[in-house]
Amino acid sequence: MKKILSIVLALALLLTAMSFALAEELPTITIMFHGSNVTDDSAVLEAVNAYIADKVGAKLEVVWGTWGDFDDKATNALLSGDTGIDMVFTCSWSADEYNTYAKNGYFVKLDDLIAEYGADLVAAIPESLMQAATIEGAEGMGIYAVNGFKDTATQNTWDVNVTLLNELGYTLDDFKAMSFYDFGELFAKAKELKGDAFYPFLVEPMVLERMVTGSIIVAGDSGSTNLLSLYLNQDDVSAEGPEGNVILNKFATDEYRKFVDKMREYYEAGYVDPSLAVAETSNDTRTNTQKTGEYLIGTQSYAFGYEYSADVLDRGIEVAFVPCTDPYVDTTASQGAMVAISTASEHPVESFKFLALLNSDPTLMTLLNYGVEGIHYNLNADGLVEFTDERANYSPWTNGMGNVTILPDTAAEGAGFRESFKAYYAGAKAIPALGYVFDNAEVANEMAALGTVAAQYALALDAGALDPETTLPDFLAALDAAGMQTYLDAANAQLAAYLG
Amino acid sequence: MNKQQKNQVALNAFGPGAQALFHIVLGLFALACIVPFLFVIIISFTSEDSIRQIGYSFMPLSWSTQAYSYVFQLGDALWRSYFNSFLITVVGTVLSVAICVLYSYPLYRKDFKYRNFFNFLSFFTMIFGGGLVPTFVVCKTLLGLSDNYAALIVPLLFSPFNVIVMRTFFQTTVPRELIEASTIDGAGEYRTLLQIVLPVVKPGIATIALLNALAFWNEWFLSLLYITKNMNVIPLQYLLMRMQRNADFLAKNSAMLGADAAQAARNLPSQSLKMALVVFIVVPIACAYPFFQRYVVAGLTVGSVKG
Repeated sequence: MKKILSIVLALALLLTAMSFALAEELPTITIMFHGSNVTDDSAVLEAVNAYIADKVGAKLEVVWGTWGDFDDKATNALLSGDTGIDMVFTCSWSADEYNTYAKNGYFVKLDDLIAEYGADLVAAIPESLMQAATIEGAEGMGIYAVNGFKDTATQNTWDVNVTLLNELGYTLDDFKAMSFYDFGELFAKAKELKGDAFYPFLVEPMVLERMVTGSIIVAGDSGSTNLLSLYLNQDDVSAEGPEGNVILNKFATDEYRKFVDKMREYYEAGYVDPSLAVAETSNDTRTNTQKTGEYLIGTQSYAFGYEYSADVLDRGIEVAFVPCTDPYVDTTASQGAMVAISTASEHPVESFKFLALLNSDPTLMTLLNYGVEGIHYNLNADGLVEFTDERANYSPWTNGMGNVTILPDTAAEGAGFRESFKAYYAGAKAIPALGYVFDNAEVANEMAALGTVAAQYALALDAGALDPETTLPDFLAALDAAGMQTYLDAANAQLAAYLG
Repeated sequence: MNKQQKNQVALNAFGPGAQALFHIVLGLFALACIVPFLFVIIISFTSEDSIRQIGYSFMPLSWSTQAYSYVFQLGDALWRSYFNSFLITVVGTVLSVAICVLYSYPLYRKDFKYRNFFNFLSFFTMIFGGGLVPTFVVCKTLLGLSDNYAALIVPLLFSPFNVIVMRTFFQTTVPRELIEASTIDGAGEYRTLLQIVLPVVKPGIATIALLNALAFWNEWFLSLLYITKNMNVIPLQYLLMRMQRNADFLAKNSAMLGADAAQAARNLPSQSLKMALVVFIVVPIACAYPFFQRYVVAGLTVGSVKG
């Protein structure tokens, strides 16, 4: 009898212990973001965890990737099958590139999870973004990441110093009637007025090239120096371009030659700062000069509402952004910021529930993006967000988090901003080759060789620092020797197959 | 000094022309070493406006201590990481020197039976590495080296190159007779190593210690790999490197990121601030050199002329 009793007691003890273990803390899910500037997230995470405990059934931890760190950290976590990272930022331009990593089996296919838990998510995100995320991955055609609803269309604009333009005796309408090839007279007058050390044309040379020749980035092309290009129909971005749906070597076109010749002329006349032609200094020079407003015309890859950002308001001049074309949706922009669930994750269901909530629930998105009300921001009399000094310790990259259209309006942006933002991008048209991604695996060697050649010439040519008369033929010959034709043929064969 | 001696000296010396030439060459070399550092100091005291207008210059348009006041405002984050740099360097150097000496000493002893095997074991890792991802898996998953000080120290503790240097140093400076003599005199293994051999190889240890201290002091990549959440343990070098990498990334991807990149660039530190941090990093290790130098020089000359 004693024996039985002791066994029963022991069992009872065991059961209590087990039930304690079961009632133990919620599982922790970890998400890795890109481009953040966060030094203290304790208050935010405390509020987030209180909010999601019931809704998601998990505790959140965040790894705040910075711009420079993210690529190494994310690829290491994914390649090593780190179970400590459940969700990770991905997109068409980061090192854990969406299409490649989905194809190689690092991301969980979400279709079943969406069907089961994703009703709110589907309602919150436009159909077109779901389509853009639908690709051929390791487990067949499907969605492998939650696509963030942000500035999902590309639009390049002229960044015009209207204050100086008016001083020179021109109006903004005069400027709008001009093309790149007519800017010479403006620059000459500006140079006359402001002296020799003033460079009126403040450009990102690579962006300028796209603006003038109407070329589009081909997703999957060589990293920072693109080699391939599709061409945009500048009057109707959804129609076929002047060259048809064929990918070209962008440096071998007549348009390109015309562009670099003109750029050379501007450069020789002293309209372009020489440090813009050097990769190491180009971006620093541009952003620093922008701050002072010491330019006449610049280039800007534009996002709706950029003119209300502190970045533009602090320049001390009147700035206008004059678009070259309507905004267009291409593969690069429509896969611009996504979050995937790692196949190494031990909690894919909780992770997905969290992502679905983040992208459809304004409270959670605001909390994680803008911080805690009363600490990181306050609402003013009109109900608009005004950030406090604490925001400096908690500034995640807004666009990298997901659906930014459910955020409240800030005082700087004005009431109704997010609604207009949503309408602006919902109305953007898609280019004919949307969704096409060049799978460069079979020509990886050529791509590496071509990338090296292009890095040597492209930026300096685009900026006008090299004489196209002598260097462009050298450049094209070097590209041919590095296997440009093989590379092009592979891209075109895939494009033809994609378009059917 | 009598006349004869004078002539002898003159006979052995370089001619005045060669002397001058050597002085000039060495002088230029020394200048090339010191000028970049002076330049960094000057830039750290240059005002942002001056950098914007004329770029880096030895003669800036205006001076400013703004970068330093900003550095001091970084407050906790800065001092903590500065402290971490010292902690990691001191602990790492002491441990790695101990490990290096204890590994290379048996390799020098002829009476150690498995010395070829252990020689090979260490040498092999010098030529063949496991690659980044497998190393990462072993360190993080298997050994739990993540988000702690150990993650920044342990992976660097053993260096096969230093083992070879140290073993060679043992072989060239410690005569085997010395070991025999101490054995005959009744010294056990511990006493032989600690009291007889170690004093002889002090210059070698100083060299290894200097190499290790430099390696630990300059290390930032381990932080990048293994520190993801606990930013309280990162060294100053990583703080600086992170700023630099952010700037590089934004420069490279500005065309992809568009307006986001321009906005992010606003948060980046100024050029002068970066240089001020470099000064913070360089000064302590530069101060450590003279202490090691005595031994390193002694190590170079030891054994050159002996009876």
